[in-house]
Amino acid sequence: MASAVGKLPSLVNTAIAQARPKFGIFMKYAKVELAPPKLSEIPQIKAGFAKLLTSAKTGAWKNQTVKQATLNVLVGAEVLFWFYIGECIGKRHIVGYNV
Amino acid sequence: MSDLPYGPPVRVSPFIRFGRWSLLTVGIAYGAFHQNRLSKKEALFREKEAKEKVIRDEKLKAEKAIAAAAELKALEELSTPKK
Repeated sequence: MASAVGKLPSLVNTAIAQARPKFGIFMKYAKVELAPPKLSEIPQIKAGFAKLLTSAKTGAWKNQTVKQATLNVLVGAEVLFWFYIGECIGKRHIVGYNV
Repeated sequence: MSDLPYGPPVRVSPFIRFGRWSLLTVGIAYGAFHQNRLSKKEALFREKEAKEKVIRDEKLKAEKAIAAAAELKALEELSTPKK
C-alpha cells in the first residue's frame, strides 16, 4: 500500500508526459476544426442556411443515399449535443438542476 | 502541418461550426436562466414549508397529547378491577 502511494507522483508524471504530445495534436486539429466562425464566413453560413431551407422545402433531403443521410444525422446530432453541453455549463451541474 | 498523424485537419463547413457555437451559447443561456428560475422557486417553496412546519408540528404535538391522555385513561380503566 505504502509503495503504491509512493509510486503515485511518478505515475501521474508519466501520465502527463504521455498525454502532453497527444493534447498538442488535439489542439492543432481543434484550432482548425472547432474554431468559432469568423465574421468573414457569414456569407457561407447564410448559404448553408439557404441550402438547408431549400432542401427542406423542395424535399431534396429525401434524395440522399443512406450513407449521406446517416452522416448528416450524425453531424446534426453532434451539433445538437453542443446545446446540452452548454446547458450543463449554464446550470453548473452535470445531472439535473442543483437548487 | 506535416507532423499531424491523421492527415491535414478537415475543413468543417462554417455553417456547422456556426451551429455548434450558437447552440453552445444558447445552451449556456438556457441553463443559467432555468437554474436561476428553479432556485428561486425552490427558495420560495422552502420558506413556505418552514412556515407550515411550525404549524404542523404544533398540531401533531396536540394530537399526540390527546392520544396519550386517551391511552392512559383506557389503561386505567383496564387496570381497575370492575366490582
